[in-house]
Amino acid sequence: MILRIDLKSPVPVYRQIVDAIRILLVSGELNPGDSLPPVRRLALDLGVHFNTVAEAYRTLEEEGWLEIGRRSGARVVSRAVPNRCDPETGEAFQRRLREMAAEVEAHGFPRNRIARELRRLADNLERS
Amino acid sequence: MPTQTMLFVLLLMLMGGLYHIIPGLTRPDLFFAVTVAPAFRGSSDAQRMLGRYRAMVWMTTLVASWLELAAGLAVAAVLLAALGYLGALVSTNRAARAYAAAPSSILEVDLAMPQESLPGGLVVAVLPVLFLGGLGLWVGFHWDRLPQRFPVHWGIHGANRWVTTTPTTVFGFLAMLAFMCLLVAGLAWGIVHRTRRISTAGAGAAGERHFRRLMVQLLIVSGYFLVFPAWFTLFHPATAAMNAWGLALAAVILAFTVNLMRGGQGGSRVTVAAGAAPVGDRTPDACWKWGLFYVNPEDPSILIEKRFGVGYTFNFGNRWTWVVLATLLLPVAAGLILLR
Repeated sequence: MILRIDLKSPVPVYRQIVDAIRILLVSGELNPGDSLPPVRRLALDLGVHFNTVAEAYRTLEEEGWLEIGRRSGARVVSRAVPNRCDPETGEAFQRRLREMAAEVEAHGFPRNRIARELRRLADNLERS
Repeated sequence: MPTQTMLFVLLLMLMGGLYHIIPGLTRPDLFFAVTVAPAFRGSSDAQRMLGRYRAMVWMTTLVASWLELAAGLAVAAVLLAALGYLGALVSTNRAARAYAAAPSSILEVDLAMPQESLPGGLVVAVLPVLFLGGLGLWVGFHWDRLPQRFPVHWGIHGANRWVTTTPTTVFGFLAMLAFMCLLVAGLAWGIVHRTRRISTAGAGAAGERHFRRLMVQLLIVSGYFLVFPAWFTLFHPATAAMNAWGLALAAVILAFTVNLMRGGQGGSRVTVAAGAAPVGDRTPDACWKWGLFYVNPEDPSILIEKRFGVGYTFNFGNRWTWVVLATLLLPVAAGLILLR
């Protein structure tokens, strides 16, 4: 269960931590009842400020993924997933996909490779 | 030749030998505290720099030994050795910077990595302090059993500095030892809870865990050794007992040191032997002053792996480091002044 962040990425470190942990949560690698490392421990191991990790944990708590106790640390809780996605979320998702594709293409990623990666992601999603 | 001179020269030779082998003990992608490509160590440029460094180290050792042997200038010899070794390291660090590689910007952490704790828990680490506290209480109730004076410094031929037994000297002595025990227990706690774990998985992580545990065990055992001088000096100031204690302490430190060196800095030799890719120490080169002092206000670590040598050093950019240092060292300094 590796959490990977890139210090050169334009995405803020706290956002990278949120995104990486959310992937582990959605994919089922982290399940309700699992514990995450304490804020201080994760911050030390990553070499980032305590507040960066605390902010990431708070964001995931607000999304309903985590429960943060003063003594027990961060624990994954079962989260009720909404049955229907509201139109705004769907539009935001499409926009982010287009933005991301444009960004990697601007960095020299060939279009056919972008399409291949998206297809692979779609296949994985349908299988899971 | 006097025994003391022989021991002094032997110690200098040991220091020279230690500085000779240290560059080979660091993480493979660090060369004289500079991040380099792992293959760089084997290059002719690296070998040339290493040869020059070792020549400086041995030249320093020989001149310092000559100062002691020919002129009996022990203090000058120590100063020269310290400056010579520092000069060799700093100049090689500067030369190595020309071959610096960009460190990886990727940071990885295994979220499932087991939490670490002090071996035996906090009680085992602070037991020497509790014992010294108990000894202080016992002494308070049995003052008449103490000798008129007691030794506070020992040489090869036995005690060479004594102080009169007064409440200030006795309790000051015990308090100083208790603070030293607290210092080593605090350092052990700091390694477990306030240092970065670098390897995330596989043999590298296992090797690093073993290395960290050895460091912590060494510190805790040192705390227990600090208790014995209090007992000897106050009740049985026998030279034989003190010499046996010194030899036992040296043997324990030697055993741990050999074990730590076999694993290399942070257990990195295990990582290399297992064929895993080295990951440096994940600190920026720019934050290492002279390759020795780590100053990074952005890093939450108080203790950090040394880049030159085996073990840990302080992050002098962290304000808590200064609070910790002041809290721990001021009482020891006060105790030393009190016992003069």
